[in-house]
Amino acid sequence: MSVEIEFIGLLKEHQKIIYKVCNLYMQSHADKDDLFQEITLQAWKAYANFRGDSKFSTWLYRVALNTAITFYRKEKKNIVFNVETVPELSENIIDHVEEKTKAMYSAIGELSKIDKAIVMLYLEDYTYTQISEIIGITPNNIAVKMNRIKIKLKEQTKKYYTTH
Amino acid sequence: MELDEFKDILNQQLATDHLYRSEADIAALLRKKAHSIIVKIKKSLWFEIFSCIVIMLLFGYLGLSSKYSSMNIYFSAFTLVFVPFTIILFYLLKKINRLNTNSLSVKNNLQSIVSILEEFMKRYFQFTMVLIPICFVFAFFLGYTEKQPIEPIDQIILKYKPSYSFITIFTFVYMTSLTVGIYYFTKWYLKKLYGNYVNELKIYINELKETE
Repeated sequence: MSVEIEFIGLLKEHQKIIYKVCNLYMQSHADKDDLFQEITLQAWKAYANFRGDSKFSTWLYRVALNTAITFYRKEKKNIVFNVETVPELSENIIDHVEEKTKAMYSAIGELSKIDKAIVMLYLEDYTYTQISEIIGITPNNIAVKMNRIKIKLKEQTKKYYTTH
Repeated sequence: MELDEFKDILNQQLATDHLYRSEADIAALLRKKAHSIIVKIKKSLWFEIFSCIVIMLLFGYLGLSSKYSSMNIYFSAFTLVFVPFTIILFYLLKKINRLNTNSLSVKNNLQSIVSILEEFMKRYFQFTMVLIPICFVFAFFLGYTEKQPIEPIDQIILKYKPSYSFITIFTFVYMTSLTVGIYYFTKWYLKKLYGNYVNELKIYINELKETE
């Protein structure tokens, strides 16, 4: 029981990591809730093997991303990112910044599941070496992928402005 | 527009949710059931193991109790075929239970899941195909060599008096169409059940290998 309490405490403290993964991989509230539940359960099942070699947050990112990427759904839903469902920004962020952020958010939504995982860890300021450990490819390959992703995002945000 | 310009804002945006989970909410989530593909395979495996045991008991009983020697051999052979298959299913279940893929890197996790799913599909397909010769060739051979008269079959033969060539052609067409039908149906069923999902995961693995 004490392990469960310890796990719940850690998960509560780090639940924003799961929010990030859910926001990036799912669109509707219902889907996000489903994924949140699945990540929580998978993390709980894997917690017995968590030996503290890495930080809990890094370990949770790994479990959350693995769960999101392999999330199995019976009905195949095509997830299209809609900027209307972008989480609200705080009021002090001025309009044009909000618009640009929406464009970037929408562009990230168009990326593949693997690219989304890399972007998320990059936004979290993980080094290429740390990202490579979570993703399972070399730091050099992460650097190459990250450059390609940045180019893709630039092109996608341009497209966003031509269509909005 | 550069991604780096938006790091802080995107981080802030992504870290929000419509719900905030309290400790009690998280504790309640831990009591729910997972829906991962591994859980789905485990359920399938348990169902198949249970079915195999029921079939083995039923066919074992029929094999021992039938008055026809052909039926004795036929159902006993089926029972024997189900024994190694049940062992393979238990082996797969044990392998999956030992698997703790979520703590692996994304690439290794994907490769482990694909390997398990492919092994499951391979065994399932092999087993279905193994049943075809037993079902048809063995059944016809045993029926043909049965010493005791099989009344329902004898009645049909007496009523329609089919020629030898008709029986040969009918048997050949029947066996071929059923074999081809079962082959394609099993392929389609496995593809629908896991194949499309495996292909999707393979795309992610290839994406990770692209830069190597």
